[in-house]
Amino acid sequence: MSFLKTSQIKSPWLMHFDCGSCNGCDIETLACLTPVYDVERFGIINVGNPRHADVLVVTGTVNPRNAEILKNIYSQMPDPKLVIAVGACGCSGGVFRDAPNVLGGIDKVIPVDVYVPGCPAKPEAIMDAVVTGLGKLKGILEAS
Amino acid sequence: MNLTTFYLAVAGLILAPLVGGLVAGVDRVLTARMQSRMGPPLLQPFYDVGKLWSKVIAPASHWQGLFVRWALVASLASDVLLAAGADVLMCFFVQAASASFVALGAFCGSSPYSKLGAQRELFQLLAYEPVFLVAILCMAKVSGGFDAYSFMASDQPLLYKMPLIVPGLLFVVLVKLRKSPFDISGSHHMHQEVVRGVYTDYAGRDFALLEIAHWADVTVVLWICSFLWATSPLAMVVTAFLFLFAALVIDNISARLTWRHMLKVVAPISLVLATANLLWLYME
Ligand code: SF4
Repeated sequence: MSFLKTSQIKSPWLMHFDCGSCNGCDIETLACLTPVYDVERFGIINVGNPRHADVLVVTGTVNPRNAEILKNIYSQMPDPKLVIAVGACGCSGGVFRDAPNVLGGIDKVIPVDVYVPGCPAKPEAIMDAVVTGLGKLKGILEAS
Repeated sequence: MNLTTFYLAVAGLILAPLVGGLVAGVDRVLTARMQSRMGPPLLQPFYDVGKLWSKVIAPASHWQGLFVRWALVASLASDVLLAAGADVLMCFFVQAASASFVALGAFCGSSPYSKLGAQRELFQLLAYEPVFLVAILCMAKVSGGFDAYSFMASDQPLLYKMPLIVPGLLFVVLVKLRKSPFDISGSHHMHQEVVRGVYTDYAGRDFALLEIAHWADVTVVLWICSFLWATSPLAMVVTAFLFLFAALVIDNISARLTWRHMLKVVAPISLVLATANLLWLYME
């Protein structure tokens, strides 16, 4: 693979969006950045700006109000991009799936590449999801 | 201009950004080790720039692309000037122009964070440029010329005659490397008070070019710092590394200051110290 394609896999900048989670999954996502888990060894940086992000990590359920914001953030990210749904809520709506304002998992609004189960999802599982997503991206880049 | 100067200038043009990229890599690995983390690979900054280059995204404003390219040209030009042994003052002014282009580009964006970052970038310029200027004047006074070669030619380290400019130079290095407590206009990852500040609206290829300009800037600043102990090339590298290391230690043990504090306390103190040193040199 060329240097540019390799660098796309080696430098995933990650943006975390809390789409209405109970904060359980958010804490676990932030735990990945601590010295214990240290995601920076994979080249991962937590960015606050969708224009700089390559991977969107979404925690929590989608409701009609934050669906618009989620779509907006997703559309501002440059291609190729990955979306990771974290936690039971992000995957399917979890314990909140029957609530009247909940649309369900985030795949109701934007396409999801990797699902991370768990309530809350473990930091190891979240890191594994990013690495799995990068494997998928590698396949796409090699084919192109 | 003879042929050797030309070759040196070309070497400066090519090597300076590469050295800056390596400095960024060393910075990230050392920072991680200080926080008892493993940290990214040494070449991570190059992967980051390669990634940004391969991303296609519409610019926030069409002016931005122009300003980024001017900033890159100015930063590389300041490296070339130093490598070719030109006037260090000229190099200093060209490098300041580069910082202004970055701020101008950020003002063109639509994000309020970008504009806030640009304003703070101008405040930073206002704070560190006078200190940097006086430091260079001190060096010129002792070495008897303004060209880079005479700075490097003295057999006694310049530091002996100018101990008071060291805090000022350290201040400049901290601001230029965007390190705490002076990562006011924009910082590296995970300090997101103003998201990426002055960098917020730059994305894709423009951001990659801006990163290369930043590397070139860092090389110039560390190079000028290394004139303090320019008895041999190795001594210069060690001096530059010591400045980098001191900046990293300060970055890891301090919290961000406000721009008011920087402008009202830190900048005046370091400027007074550096000016006292200059007056002392003149009265000697
Ligand atoms: S999956 Fe569990 S921990 Fe995560 S947001 Fe939902 S309820 Fe909270």
